[in-house]
Amino acid sequence: MTSENMVELKNITKKFGKDTAVNNLNLTVKAGEFLTLLGPSGCGKTTTLRMIAGFEKPTEGEVWINDQQVANVEPYKREVNTVFQSYSLFPHMNVFDNVAFGLKMKKTGKEEIAERVMNALKLVQLEGYIDRKPKQLSGGQQQRIAIARAIVNNPKVLLLDEPLGALDLKLRKQMQMELKHLQQSLGITFIYVTHDQEEALTMSDRIVVMNQGEIEQIGLPEEIYEKPTSKFVADFIGETNIFEGVVTNTQNEYADLNIDGVSIGIPKTISLVQDERVYMSIRPEKAKVSVTKDETAHLNGTLKEKIYVGSVTKIIVQLPNGREMVVNESGDSLRDVKAGNDVYVSWQPEETVVFKD
Amino acid sequence: MRPKTKKILFLFTTLIFMFFYIPIIILMAFSFNDSKVGTVWTGFTFDWYKSLFSNDQIISAVTNSLIIAVITTLIATVFGTLAALAIHRYNFPGKKAFNFLFYIPVVIPDIIVAVALLALYGWLDITLGISTVFPGHVAITISYVMLVVIARLAGLDASLEEAAKDLGANEWQTFWKVTFPLIFPGVLAGALLAFTISLDEFVISYFTTGPGSDTLPVLVYSMVRLGVSPEINALSTIMVLLIVIMVVITGRKMRVSK
Repeated sequence: MTSENMVELKNITKKFGKDTAVNNLNLTVKAGEFLTLLGPSGCGKTTTLRMIAGFEKPTEGEVWINDQQVANVEPYKREVNTVFQSYSLFPHMNVFDNVAFGLKMKKTGKEEIAERVMNALKLVQLEGYIDRKPKQLSGGQQQRIAIARAIVNNPKVLLLDEPLGALDLKLRKQMQMELKHLQQSLGITFIYVTHDQEEALTMSDRIVVMNQGEIEQIGLPEEIYEKPTSKFVADFIGETNIFEGVVTNTQNEYADLNIDGVSIGIPKTISLVQDERVYMSIRPEKAKVSVTKDETAHLNGTLKEKIYVGSVTKIIVQLPNGREMVVNESGDSLRDVKAGNDVYVSWQPEETVVFKD
Repeated sequence: MRPKTKKILFLFTTLIFMFFYIPIIILMAFSFNDSKVGTVWTGFTFDWYKSLFSNDQIISAVTNSLIIAVITTLIATVFGTLAALAIHRYNFPGKKAFNFLFYIPVVIPDIIVAVALLALYGWLDITLGISTVFPGHVAITISYVMLVVIARLAGLDASLEEAAKDLGANEWQTFWKVTFPLIFPGVLAGALLAFTISLDEFVISYFTTGPGSDTLPVLVYSMVRLGVSPEINALSTIMVLLIVIMVVITGRKMRVSK
């Protein structure tokens, strides 16, 4: 292990009784990286974070932080700090004492404590609130204090467990950018847990998509969104149309996929075998709906519904095989097309993502 | 609410409070009565308070009761709190049974505890005195402390303790800096409960105390058998006032620590 790797999980398994929360997970987090563990609730992302923090001991496997094996080291001896989902500010202490808590535990000098606490509070723009009790602060302010309380200790790694979950949408968006900028200016490694895929895409250097205690895919936000390697990832990240079909021809530039009797060209980005069942996914914004037939890959159907959502109009198309397809249209080319009209849905074959499960 | 309903509820509440407090108020008033017979008001006097403080028997009983209540409270509070923490925090085989064993003293009649202890002392050939009163008092009060503290712990966010450890506090520091300050109102309420239960406990004290080490309720009982003396009224008045002051102070403290 090189010093470039800040956190390394080796064959980590965590069982709670008979339930396996995390199953043989391997993960390397680079120094200075903003890594997000993303997945639905119960996927093991929080358990993974808690094993890095030290609140849970892995049933099997090793946890390395900054070149030290810490799987059985107590949380208070680890060079990591956590920002909790519920903020967990000490209700009996004022803001100053909350932020100073970690430094006091390390027996830091009084003057240094005062200076570092004020600097940390300045970073989160709450230096005027030192005498307040947590109860007297808004949710957003409490969240900032929780962040200040963690970063004041100069941790090697900052662990964040759905820290923005309780904030309203607008404040959440604002805090996402603030956290991202904070991470860049401090250079601390961030490991961030969320179930909000948009938040993960916005903030992360790399995303780890988890499902049922295992890693589904690790990659850059673009890779996770544009090139999902499994049906789970494609479905979980953003909105998409997924079809199952049988490969009928692999000879040409594009392979042919038979979806309920209709043949569609798909790119040969993975090895495809004749008669194999595979899935294809096409994002709503990559396809378009028209009343005339197009040269590119297409399906025909009838327009079922037009839903105006502000930035785009969502077009729901009813396909002959009983499925529905969603397409996002930004223009008004379909102004005269009404529900029940016959339409074509078309897209460039290379926009399709193909995967086996 | 309809005006009539409101009136009826008001009357009802007033009656309840009268039922609670009129006997106590009468008792307090008669402690200043200048008559030896408790039922007729003949004039105002402090004589009963004077004779109360020169009555060695009563002073000795009050001292005994206070010593027993203070020591009982200390033991019951420490061990009751520890038991509450153990039950709240850890899962261990037999936890349910352990928990249940702590609840039994709350519902078991005091007379049974008293007789059982008396039989035990007899069997072990222990001479009764002030020290033989403690075990019974501790046994019944420890459960109350535990119940109150457990209720407080149930409302404690476990992630606060994790946050403390995350920030570098070891188990000991986490307990004293975070857990204890947060459960303190519960501990204080438990201690107060233990103190008052011990102070007016009669049955166990009566059975397990020895000659010359009467507690106050035991002494009052033996005095009342010869008729209610106004001295007892005076003593009761002092005790009521002390308890009221204690409750007010505790209430303040609990509000502050919230």
